[in-house]
Amino acid sequence: MSIQYKSIKDLSNMLLKRDISHEELIKETFSLIESNIDLNAFITLNKDSAIEKAISLDNNKVESTLSGIPIAQKDLFCTKDLRTTCGSNMLSSFVPPYSATVITNLENAGCISVGKTNMDEFAMGSSNETSFFGNVENPWGKNLVPGGSSGGSASAVSSGIVPAATGTDTGGSIRQPASLCGITGLKPTYGRISRWGMIAFASSLDQAGPMARTAEDCAILLNHMCSHDLKDTTSLDEPIPDFTEDLDKPIKGMKIGIVKEFDLSKLDNDVVKVFEDSKNHYESMGAEFVEISLPNISLSVPTYYVVAPAECSSNLSRFDGVKFGTRCDDPKNLEDLYIRTRSEGFGDEVKRRILIGSYVLSAGFYDAYYKKAQQVRRLIKNDFDNAFSQVDVIMSPTTRGAAFEAGSKGSDPIQMYLEDLFTIPANLAGLPALSLPNGFVNNKPIGLQLIGNFLEESKILQFAHNFQKTSDFHLKTPRGENIS
Amino acid sequence: MDKKTVATIAYLSRIALNEGNEEKITSDLENIIKFVDQLDAARVDGVEPLSNPLEKKAHTREDKVTAENRKDTFLERSPRSNEDYFLVPRVVE
Repeated sequence: MSIQYKSIKDLSNMLLKRDISHEELIKETFSLIESNIDLNAFITLNKDSAIEKAISLDNNKVESTLSGIPIAQKDLFCTKDLRTTCGSNMLSSFVPPYSATVITNLENAGCISVGKTNMDEFAMGSSNETSFFGNVENPWGKNLVPGGSSGGSASAVSSGIVPAATGTDTGGSIRQPASLCGITGLKPTYGRISRWGMIAFASSLDQAGPMARTAEDCAILLNHMCSHDLKDTTSLDEPIPDFTEDLDKPIKGMKIGIVKEFDLSKLDNDVVKVFEDSKNHYESMGAEFVEISLPNISLSVPTYYVVAPAECSSNLSRFDGVKFGTRCDDPKNLEDLYIRTRSEGFGDEVKRRILIGSYVLSAGFYDAYYKKAQQVRRLIKNDFDNAFSQVDVIMSPTTRGAAFEAGSKGSDPIQMYLEDLFTIPANLAGLPALSLPNGFVNNKPIGLQLIGNFLEESKILQFAHNFQKTSDFHLKTPRGENIS
Repeated sequence: MDKKTVATIAYLSRIALNEGNEEKITSDLENIIKFVDQLDAARVDGVEPLSNPLEKKAHTREDKVTAENRKDTFLERSPRSNEDYFLVPRVVE
């Protein structure tokens, strides 16, 4: 029986009924990885340990839906004794001495980490074209980008290799690739999931989250990913609900906000049509639409491109070739060691962002850029606070269009930055947001974004699950089949 | 944003520019800074900066040692070390 494209729930049932053993499931997963090697979705595999864990689970099952479920881990999470590169030459041979809290949480719940997925270098990119380990292919078409930065994770789930993957989202890095690869991805509230052991990009924006085929699977994963962690000072000390509990509750009478300032007229007609169809779909389920105003939303991308590079330049100063990671050959002196290590270790996009960060934080410019961006960030957050006094969720397209061809955005970085136009605001405000497949443009999948109020992951998952119970966009495979 | 400014921030960032990328990086940075200059349009008088969406106090805990000494574990991950230290080129002549 094939395991390709099966959901967590399907695989869990197969294991429970002993239709398949844990060992068979994991070996079959590695066969799928092999037969899809051209996608370049994985940087490092964890084959021997994974099979060993599967055999031990065959003997002693963990009492959890996730017991024995194969999962792909974004190569940004530290994994004990398993190479962790963050898509960079700087860490191309780094083997962490510990695992990230979220990795430990998932593995304790029974998940089997099968490998580390390719990604944009240090999570800086929206097309997976900045990885030191090469581009990742979108299973939906030759030479199509999978989005980024969690492109390898999205590609691995979309191609049906694994039912689940981890991602991280600083400006859209879970939702945008989920949209472009036709899967479901959730960025939780900032602080829901511990950042301990996540290689930092922009600490006030970074958040880990699940990527899977369905909202239901995302909820199952989220249940085990969240924890209050004393090792992360921004980890939330809030009750963690059962995120699957409200999935089946109807959404009749609930209110969806449509953002007045998101000008959809600049998008392709096909993209707008898919969005309008989804509005009609929700209307038919009894949801009500309310136009809301987020007056400062147009400043989200410029705000982000001050805050994120500033935090990145500070976070990435730790890569100096001394304590871990790559070091240049034959340094003449200490300064030469620093400069050549960083110049050889980082790729162009990472350098660009470090330089921007150093500029906006430098004396004389701090108030004009960094402080101002933080002030605008508050205005954006206030806009959301006002909006959520009127609506349950906010809905928009996830991306401006479907997957594009590698190299097609040219060499102007701002064109790539605008890819994240719809996703960045939720990061600035720390709000939960997800993307679910809601249609196709030129036979390529596209996603719908639902943004929730602070800590209201359950509500956006409920909206997404209600949609998926009554549609089949999430069940289409890149080969044009429907998953039964 | 001129070449001199770019050279200064590159040095502050300990990143070397070379003839091959200097011009492209300078023009990219110029464009990005122009792009973020849109922030000038915002009215922010009296608005308190927001540095973190949680706005909660960082957790504190009792100051007691919880980690074991793993000196060897960390030293062996260094590109160069001896049994006690990370090694770098000579600093004092």
